[in-house]
Amino acid sequence: MDEKTIKEYLNRCSKCGGCMAACPLFAETQMEPLVARGKLFLIKNYLDGNLDLSKKMMELMSLCLLCKACTDQCPNSIPVDQLVLSIRQEIAQHKGISFVKKNIFQHFLQNNGRLNIAAKMANLYQRSGLQWLVRKSGILGLLGRDLAKKEKLLPEMAKVPFRAQVPKLISVSNPQMRVAYYTGCVTNYVFPQTGHAVLEILRNHSLEVVIPEQWCCGIPALASGDEGSTVELAKKNIKAFQEAGVDYIITDCASCGSMLHEYADLIGSGDAHFFADKVVDLSQFLAEVVDFTPGDKEIGCVVTYHDPCHLNRGQGVREAPRKLLKSLPGVIFKEMKEADRCCGAAGSFNLTYYDLANKVGHRKVCNIKDTGANVVTTECPSCIMQIRHLIELEQIPVEVTHLAELISKSYGGVS
Amino acid sequence: MISNKVIEIIMKIVGDENVITSKEERLCYAYDSTPNAFLPDLVVRPGSTEEVQSIVRLANEHRFPLIPRGTGTGLSGGSLPVMGGVVMDLTRMDKILEIDEENLVAVVEAGVITYKLQEEVEARGLFYPPDPGSLKTSTIGGNVAENAGGPRAFKYGVTRDYVLGLEVVTPEGEIVSVGGKTVKSVTGYDLIRLYTGSEGTLGIITKIYLRLIPKPEAKKTMMVSFPRLDDAARSVTEIIKRGIIPVTLEIMDDRTIQCVENHKKMGLPLDVEAILIIEVDGPRLLLDGQAQLIAELCQNNGAQQVRIAETDEEREKIWAARRAVSAAVVQIKPTKISEDIAVPRMAIPEMVRRLKEIARRYQLDLVIFGHAGDGNLHPNILCDQRDHDEMQRVEKAIGELFKAAVELGGTLSGEHGIGTMKAPYLKLEIGEAGYDVMMKIKKALDPNNILNPGKIFWSENNG
Repeated sequence: MDEKTIKEYLNRCSKCGGCMAACPLFAETQMEPLVARGKLFLIKNYLDGNLDLSKKMMELMSLCLLCKACTDQCPNSIPVDQLVLSIRQEIAQHKGISFVKKNIFQHFLQNNGRLNIAAKMANLYQRSGLQWLVRKSGILGLLGRDLAKKEKLLPEMAKVPFRAQVPKLISVSNPQMRVAYYTGCVTNYVFPQTGHAVLEILRNHSLEVVIPEQWCCGIPALASGDEGSTVELAKKNIKAFQEAGVDYIITDCASCGSMLHEYADLIGSGDAHFFADKVVDLSQFLAEVVDFTPGDKEIGCVVTYHDPCHLNRGQGVREAPRKLLKSLPGVIFKEMKEADRCCGAAGSFNLTYYDLANKVGHRKVCNIKDTGANVVTTECPSCIMQIRHLIELEQIPVEVTHLAELISKSYGGVS
Repeated sequence: MISNKVIEIIMKIVGDENVITSKEERLCYAYDSTPNAFLPDLVVRPGSTEEVQSIVRLANEHRFPLIPRGTGTGLSGGSLPVMGGVVMDLTRMDKILEIDEENLVAVVEAGVITYKLQEEVEARGLFYPPDPGSLKTSTIGGNVAENAGGPRAFKYGVTRDYVLGLEVVTPEGEIVSVGGKTVKSVTGYDLIRLYTGSEGTLGIITKIYLRLIPKPEAKKTMMVSFPRLDDAARSVTEIIKRGIIPVTLEIMDDRTIQCVENHKKMGLPLDVEAILIIEVDGPRLLLDGQAQLIAELCQNNGAQQVRIAETDEEREKIWAARRAVSAAVVQIKPTKISEDIAVPRMAIPEMVRRLKEIARRYQLDLVIFGHAGDGNLHPNILCDQRDHDEMQRVEKAIGELFKAAVELGGTLSGEHGIGTMKAPYLKLEIGEAGYDVMMKIKKALDPNNILNPGKIFWSENNG
């Protein structure tokens, strides 16, 4: 976003304060600098030359979930998350980003070989007994107050990444359509079972599936202000899927999906628009594109649904997942209060601001508990990790699962 | 400026984590919902009446301005630190202390969000009617300090009509309790009314006793369009004469309707001078009959179209048109100067004509909407803050619109308060003698001019 557009938007803020009612961080802290109105005023002061990119300024700009709840209710439709991302980019340009992040965004994420090795190392750490030793020894507790708790947020890595477990082309007889599957990093490296469930569902709808070589969508880099790395990744993905020649590109991750849609504006080329137009979330695809047919196996659960910010407000998908859930055999659907409220994960926000993220998430857990459901489902691996972590902490007997995995159970589960 | 020594004392009183010193964070307490901003020297977030008291005493000792603030959604500049000093953010004091269902009283701390209280009491079948526009974010303390109103005011009254008791820290640091759980109380001067609407200049309100009433069983909503504004005003009077007091009587003028229709196609008629949104509430059994009678009265008085909502969805659609106003008008120009004059109900058509004439003369874009039942109008001038020539014309037009309101027997402010925005015009309404009485009260209660200086009373240096 160029400076003129940013200023136009900032000028539109009448400081009515409506964002205070929507912001999950404000609800937990009642701190004006954490809410959209405050942040926009700070950005305006920075652009007017009244503020520097001080340490405090950087901290305040990092304290945003990018959940779009404020934008959703803003009478003037100010895209607050985009403005915060712009200032983060400015910060990254002037102040640089950390050595670790730079390495991840500019080297690891751009190179699947290195990423695979890193995932393997993490898996080794977890399996070799080193993790057990580290946890047992209490060494993390010595390093930092929250480090020991945060370490538990890190998911267990898959032994073999999902994409290495499946062929690049999965054919069926008489396919009704050819689609591509964008697996996202978390399904690939952490939750391969989600990927298998997606394939199971697609197979049951006579779809030919292509899983081309693909890269991180770029959202972690963008959230840290490294737009350059995101652009590189976007170009690689656009090219890879262009060659696949498909009707739709299906995603099972809300954040990836919303990022892939944004390639159109980020890159601006015809190819980018062509790519972005094909991207569709799994539940929307099932509910609106194909004639969704669940299996006939009784699942037997009471389920509630959590709207990921990047699916609900990010891609406007609200009804589709609910429609699917209600049609599953042996599933009772219970709507939770504030289903579309952020769970606090927000990418790596929960690692940086562990306690605050947990406060935000606690409200989610209470709302889940109030439904009496024994399963909570959603379509964002990052939300799944956060909610699962909190449910374990608070010891609630609720299973957290990806929508695809629940649906696949109606076909008898993943073979 | 506040000395480091004083800051250290304040930190000892409320705890380090409740004192804000960085420029970045202080800037976020420099504004309210008006276009103005003034950087405070410090922000403090007390957690109890005793902490408030200690800070007020410190302010008297070291002579620094103290500006009480809720969530900063005021529309008259009431919580702006125009002379610097310490902004006191009261949002940490956010406990609902008691909802007494037998005596129909709620006892709350100042920082409770209005909407939160309403949710809590409505869950018990009770009702706290005042509904200022920002009720989802505003605090009860702020509502009392500004004596906030809202669309339901004509039937149910404004904030002051629900305040039964207050705990106030005086400008010199004493704790005063007035009133309580009784509906009747005539013990000495009516200090509750004095503190209510005092805009943070006479004391810091820390605890409030609020009157509750039973929640009306149901409501019914309708939208009526009038080719002629006078017919809309006459219809309102006829409705009331027949013994029906609608809970809301929202009016939108032709320019407002155009803006809404341009922004979101809602199928509103573009060939009318006014639309009324009328809502009645009460026992379900009575509402259909009342709605029918209102429809007939409107039709007999020149209404073009009457739309009665039969379902929740239809009701929602009608209110969506009203809610769309604020987004629709900023599509025209980025800055919106929102006034809130009130005139006797029958003077509404004349006031609207005068407002339009003023806007024409100063070449300004003006939309008018508001509450037709109580004569409280919100003329909104749409302008661009960056256009200095235009802003000068806005300034002049505002002076004239206040004059017109007073000439018609009305008031400068129906529900926003005087603050800084209307301070230069106060004498226009209350005269020299009225101003003098108010000034004497202020000086007697706050001899060191500690609390919210620069508000209500206009001086050269209050921005």
